[in-house]
Amino acid sequence: MLTYVIRRLLHTILVVFAITFIVFFAIRLTGDPVSVMFGAGEPTKEAIEEITRNLGLDKPLYIQYGLFLKGILTLDFGESFRSGLPVVDLIVEKIGATLVLALGGIVVAILIAFPVGILSAVKRGTSVDFFGRIFSLVGISFPNFWLGIMLILVFAVNLQWLPSSGFDGFSSLILPSITLGMILSGILARLVRSSMLEVMNQQYMSTAKSKGISTWSVIIKHAFRNALLPTVTFLGLQFGSLLGGAVIVEQVFAWPGVGRLIIDAINQRDYPVIQGGVIFLAVVMVVINLLVDISYSIIDPRIKTGKGSH
Amino acid sequence: MKKGLQTKLVAIFSIVVLILAGCSDDRSEGETNNSSGENPAESRGNEIVVGITSDPQSWDPIDTFLLDWSSVATSVFEGLVERTLDLELKPGLAEKWEYTDDKTIVFNLRQGVVFHDGEPFNADAVKYTFDRLLGDEGKKGPQYSNYSSIDSVEVNDEYTVTMHLNSTDPVLLTKLSGYGAVIVPPKYIEEKGDDFFNSNPVGTGPFKMTDYKRDQEVILEKNENYWKTGLPKLDKVTFKVIPEASTRLAELQTGKIDVMKRVEVAQAETVKDTDFVELIEVGAPTVYALRFDTAKEPLGDVKVRQAINYAINKEEIISSILNGYAKPISTFQSELSFGNNPNLKPYPYDPEKAKELLKEAGVEEGTALDLFIPGTDGNFKEIAQAVSFYLEEVGLKVNINSVDTTTLTADLIPQGDAGHMYRNGWGGWTLDFDNTAYLMYYEGELWNPSFKDEKVEELLRAQRASVDQKEREEIFMELTELLYELAPEVNLYQAVDLYAANKRLKNFQPPNEDRMRFEEVTVE
Repeated sequence: MLTYVIRRLLHTILVVFAITFIVFFAIRLTGDPVSVMFGAGEPTKEAIEEITRNLGLDKPLYIQYGLFLKGILTLDFGESFRSGLPVVDLIVEKIGATLVLALGGIVVAILIAFPVGILSAVKRGTSVDFFGRIFSLVGISFPNFWLGIMLILVFAVNLQWLPSSGFDGFSSLILPSITLGMILSGILARLVRSSMLEVMNQQYMSTAKSKGISTWSVIIKHAFRNALLPTVTFLGLQFGSLLGGAVIVEQVFAWPGVGRLIIDAINQRDYPVIQGGVIFLAVVMVVINLLVDISYSIIDPRIKTGKGSH
Repeated sequence: MKKGLQTKLVAIFSIVVLILAGCSDDRSEGETNNSSGENPAESRGNEIVVGITSDPQSWDPIDTFLLDWSSVATSVFEGLVERTLDLELKPGLAEKWEYTDDKTIVFNLRQGVVFHDGEPFNADAVKYTFDRLLGDEGKKGPQYSNYSSIDSVEVNDEYTVTMHLNSTDPVLLTKLSGYGAVIVPPKYIEEKGDDFFNSNPVGTGPFKMTDYKRDQEVILEKNENYWKTGLPKLDKVTFKVIPEASTRLAELQTGKIDVMKRVEVAQAETVKDTDFVELIEVGAPTVYALRFDTAKEPLGDVKVRQAINYAINKEEIISSILNGYAKPISTFQSELSFGNNPNLKPYPYDPEKAKELLKEAGVEEGTALDLFIPGTDGNFKEIAQAVSFYLEEVGLKVNINSVDTTTLTADLIPQGDAGHMYRNGWGGWTLDFDNTAYLMYYEGELWNPSFKDEKVEELLRAQRASVDQKEREEIFMELTELLYELAPEVNLYQAVDLYAANKRLKNFQPPNEDRMRFEEVTVE
């Protein structure tokens, strides 16, 4: 068990290291941040060279990368080129908003997917099931950028029920959460349906029914409970990708989260913020995967040795 | 049977979706028309909300490089000189100034002005501001280089300072009206520190900042002690940061914001259809051209460069691709720029003349030219295709290469690797041809990979050596005529900025260079 955990930890460190490498060099391929810094001026060659030196961008790339890795070990991601604030502070300031949004997305996904998935499974082959499956397909296919703008047009501009952007109070959370949760709900509804069907085909279900327990009570107490396990695992894994998916949604709804921080930073080539933000999201993702894997190994002893099927 | 049912269901489902989509469109029109008598922003009282695209980030004037900074900070900070929305220079925090020689200016400061924290504005504050800008702290930032012609500031008495220059700088007075040269409070910064000042700005402007949530909103309230009597008229201006243009428009349509910055061309019609909103168009300093790399044959020949100028129909590009939201230019500067020559008209569209010139230059039919454009600029992609079409008409072939914007400006152009011609976009807030022309046409400058002309360089040096604006203007007229003939580029157009404002606002005039002003604005 312990060796497994240690091995997985080493994997994780390797993955994080690879991510730092990719992020660091990928953004440097996109060009020079200094010329972007003169949006309001007409810089001379000397001015550009001076700023490049001040930001440490004149050093050879491998030295810059080395300094960057050294900083990470002490949780120092440097300072933003634009605001001069430490990147860690910026991320800490924004992470709350992103977490709230991701949770909102999950709640929306659950509220939509569970009823749809259960109904689809129970009424398998009927028109209810058909609509349920169409819904999943549509949900998965919506680009969330488009969906967000449509929701704004309908609920903010036409009906004027909800605010179209901002970060004040529950009402401003509704539209972004729906946008983010919609896609997840499509996938989740399919998963709920298939795991429900699997459980309902088990023998103990017929037994339960034959004991004269009412159909819905069988479905909820026996089938749903057992079908819950794979869906919860799935949701856990999806949490990381929700944080990533929030990037676009945050941009559309002017939501002050980590995603928008990264997009703004990319637009202005704010290297330290891009690096810090992307690595933060990646680490969250990797850690969630690690936790899921370890918890599996506790539940399923075959995984411990690494010999069993994965 | 089952299959038939499914097909029907699919059909019904599709119809429902279509109807829903249709409804939402109908309603959007109905809604905006309904509200003709009702302005959703009316209840807000004597305050307005402005939708901007991005946070000002560093508030410290010596650290900033963002146009978005100036949109907000122009209400908080002021310079010795004020530039009005009509781009005229007026006394600001200095009541008057005088050049005692080409390199010395004496400023008489306005008395009785106080910073938002109560600290008095005086000669010490001016000296502190420039010492800081030109000192170690300022040298780290992007503003320093704009002011390096200033050698030092000397305090004569409490309300007089002398500015010593190390070289003549004809654009200095303009530059003193904004960005790095706005006056900051010495005591406040010394006591609270640079970092604190960076998020809690204090100036002498018409509005003072009372609340700031990074990337969300900035709240400015009326400066009760403002030196211009009777101003500002509004009690409060809130800036909301909304990066996505569609969302900004939605906020405008629902009355949540009164002013929308950066309306996209595609949104102009929707704004016009909304009854309580006005679309305002204003010329921006930014100009666009196709710059030639004269080191690449056959572009070393001026006849070829002129031929390409004749071959491209610029008017058609402006009216069809840019929907008319752009203005023609004859040299690489906007009509707002000091040094623009109103007598020059853009090269007319004359493909026959182009063919003739190409023939004279001995350019073979089918000669291929590489054109480099930034991949992120959708409008410009269409323009490049139009250019390719026009040049094909006169027997030239164009290969369009889309590359990353920053890579193009920072690497490819300086290294002369951007093909025979490339998109060149340029704009600065000073609106004086000096800097642009120097950086574009002087040998050895970063963005001038190959163009060289002795006479052009001589004229560039001459105008920089003078502070007599009349003399400079004459030099610029000569220079622009020369550049027009030499045709180092095809000048395409001057950009236009679109703003939208709720009609309850009175006296709102959008700026040409992003520096929004609100002290004269009132609401109904």
